[in-house]
Amino acid sequence: MLETLPVLHQIPTKTWMPRLSFAPKNTAPRGDTLVVVFLRGAADMLNMVVPHGEDAYYALRPTLGIARPDDLRSKKEERTVDLDGFFGFHPNMSSLLEAWQSKQLAIIHACGAPDESRSHFKAMELMERGVDDERGPASGWIGRHLATLNTGNSSPLRAVGMGTRPQRSLSGSVPVSALRSIADFHLGGDQRALQQMRTALSYVYQNDEMGQDTLSIMDTLQKLDPTNYQSTNSQYPDSEFGLALKQTAMLIKSEVGLEVSAIDLGGWDTHFTQGSMTGLMPNLMKDLAEGLAAFHADMADHMNKLTTVTMSEFGRRAYENGSLGTDHGHGSMMMVLGGNVDGGKVHGQWPGLEEGQLIGPGDLAVTTDYRDVLSEILTKRLNNPATSDVFPEYQPVMRNIIKS
Amino acid sequence: MTLSRRDFLKLATLLSASAALNACAPAVRRLTDDFPSVPWRPLSAADFTALNRITFGARVDERARLAEIGLANYIEEQLDFETINDLTLDLQLSTFNTLTMAANEIEAVTNQLFDGYDRERPINELRQATFLRQLYSKRQLYEVMVDFWSDHFNIFIEKEPIFYLKTVDDRDVIRKHALGNFRDLVWASAHSPAMLTYLDNQANVKGTPNENYARELMELHTLGVDGGYSQNDVMQLARCLTGWSVKEHFWLGDFVFKEDQHEPGEKNVLGLAIQESGQSEAEQVIEHLVLHPSTAKFICTKLSRRFIADEPPQEIVEKAAQTFLATKGDIKSVLRVILFDGLVFSQPKYKRPLNFVLSALRMLKVETDGVALQDHLSRMGQLAFNLPTPDGYPDRSDAWQGNLMPRWQFAFELIRNELPKTKHNLTALLDISSTGSLHTDVDSLTSLLLGTPLDRLTRDGMIDTVHSAGATEEETLQIIAASLIASPAFQWR
Repeated sequence: MLETLPVLHQIPTKTWMPRLSFAPKNTAPRGDTLVVVFLRGAADMLNMVVPHGEDAYYALRPTLGIARPDDLRSKKEERTVDLDGFFGFHPNMSSLLEAWQSKQLAIIHACGAPDESRSHFKAMELMERGVDDERGPASGWIGRHLATLNTGNSSPLRAVGMGTRPQRSLSGSVPVSALRSIADFHLGGDQRALQQMRTALSYVYQNDEMGQDTLSIMDTLQKLDPTNYQSTNSQYPDSEFGLALKQTAMLIKSEVGLEVSAIDLGGWDTHFTQGSMTGLMPNLMKDLAEGLAAFHADMADHMNKLTTVTMSEFGRRAYENGSLGTDHGHGSMMMVLGGNVDGGKVHGQWPGLEEGQLIGPGDLAVTTDYRDVLSEILTKRLNNPATSDVFPEYQPVMRNIIKS
Repeated sequence: MTLSRRDFLKLATLLSASAALNACAPAVRRLTDDFPSVPWRPLSAADFTALNRITFGARVDERARLAEIGLANYIEEQLDFETINDLTLDLQLSTFNTLTMAANEIEAVTNQLFDGYDRERPINELRQATFLRQLYSKRQLYEVMVDFWSDHFNIFIEKEPIFYLKTVDDRDVIRKHALGNFRDLVWASAHSPAMLTYLDNQANVKGTPNENYARELMELHTLGVDGGYSQNDVMQLARCLTGWSVKEHFWLGDFVFKEDQHEPGEKNVLGLAIQESGQSEAEQVIEHLVLHPSTAKFICTKLSRRFIADEPPQEIVEKAAQTFLATKGDIKSVLRVILFDGLVFSQPKYKRPLNFVLSALRMLKVETDGVALQDHLSRMGQLAFNLPTPDGYPDRSDAWQGNLMPRWQFAFELIRNELPKTKHNLTALLDISSTGSLHTDVDSLTSLLLGTPLDRLTRDGMIDTVHSAGATEEETLQIIAASLIASPAFQWR
């Protein structure tokens, strides 16, 4: 029963926000800034990093398959761009070739989570919480990473979720803010009234951490000038994803204390006419690759202190469906981009696409748990050894994706 | 005051003749004697919370009605929504022609072959009408349920060609059955061209099944992800659903079962042997799904989460689920359990953006055509029918915390009357209930927005703070109003 009278600067009854009560276990200097890109909707990784050395791939995907690099029946620009003789990029991923060739981009194929629900929402939730099943902690893995590591950084911009809602993976971290656009992150209007409003807001939010964080972010960002931001040697795509990466770059360069930026790129649930060369998925890949390439070029001077990782909740069925799309599958793929990555390499054990190698209704198996990749980044690049708190009840295996 | 049919027609003509609908709305309200202006008294926290769960924000007249007849009667009155007169709103919506059209007529409105075509019109009219209904309808519980089911059966309006199909789904599926029977709701949704298109079932044909709709029908619409189905059940249901499609020529946009695309043979879903019988195969499965105990539990959990708490008490969920099964999915009966037995267990819920915006507008009796608010909802992350994924906008509090900035911006612009075609008259409003001093004005305003006045210390501290920032008496009231809406307390309901 609610009985409390309204106290202006508090929520009506008990504070229930799931903030972590335990104090940071570890103290360490700040490591890399981590950018986590989540491809929502289960991206079709088999058409993104194509196993062109597998005959089975072409048998399973007679229409959607991307031609071999040497397939003279296809136009050159429609063929897979070879990476290592077995795997190759979809042509729309080729803006990432430069990062690949400079060995700053690593690919981990057949990567994923044990969950086999093939439900977007369950898989995403478990993955963002970093747990095996419902029983684990409700907070997110990034939230627990930040909560277990004291870097001496009290910036309100320690972790930012790009978009209108903070990602689940961030929950439990203090502070966390959603930020769609730096330009929008201020109160606009009559200056005199604004100053009064600012004063009134700090009064009503005097006991509220999130409000205080928002106010100080507002003050910090006021000094930035997003409209005049000049990126270095690169052009970000004119998309929400491009904007999110550009804002991340700005925050890093302006040294406001950013440690983690979580970015979503949605729309990968391609059951219907996903397109092989043009259409839905090729457009998304273009946005993804061009965005990451622009970010990589823009941040060239920061590559020793920056790691970017891409992930998706699961992969898609190895064989195409009847509507020129693909249904929910299992094994996925991750990319890790940064100056200290053992790049130019496809990591992980390839389970194969032959009958008997596929699992369930015909899906790529998982040979590398996504938590292995993230744990290695956390310990080696972000100075946080507390992986057993970040990924409870999981014993990560180091896969040597980061140079030692 | 009630209007005769002649008055109604006169008003309707007046309205449809007017391009500036918004300019007319206040006149209509005066004519129809809407918005009684009675002083408001503080409400108990329990009543205020209850009212803010049943409505999109407790309006002055709703507070008065609740005080007059008590919560139980109020709930019954709201459940019996068809008897609530909504004339003013009906008049206001009468100019939105696409709301009553069939899919092929709406398509014609957007088709380049015809003069004056406008692709955005159906979307804009549906969004605007939805918002105005949530804001002005007196059938608040009904609108709250429409919103609930719109999330539960979420459809992304921007996916081609749903822009001319969703209006029909909204009218003939969601609104038609929002307080009816759950079985009819699922049945209508499964036959809804907007849903079938959204989840790719028009591409689910024999030999090459597409699992998308079959999976979500079980995972999101009925059983829930842990409701006890397997990947094989998904594939089998997809086979049952082959041929469920949408007409592409005559009666474009209507449901059609395409026999020639239907996969022959027996199917087996959830242990149920389904004999080859065309369209009836999936319909048999639907009949089974809607009354499955997992479905009852899943739906009642979600409803309890919406009305009671993020983690609702299990005994309420159980009792509601029993009622769900006993009444074969009667939504009103389930709601009675949740509201009568459950509301006392209410825990604070963080307002979703829609709820935040609507509650501010409703409590302050704002006049608006609803257009300017869409951009604000978009910035806060909850524009109607704009979520690409089929799970609907999240309900849990933690999903929405951490994005205060656009809420503050909205509060500031609203109070300063800077939103186009959106006006409040704070002074006139407070004149009803206050004696005119700044202190009683603030008490009256807080009571309106938060249920009861603030304690004196907090109130005076607030007034002093704003004063000391150099505000005049009039500015002070404005800034206090804006910061009350922006305050932590107002973000919760």
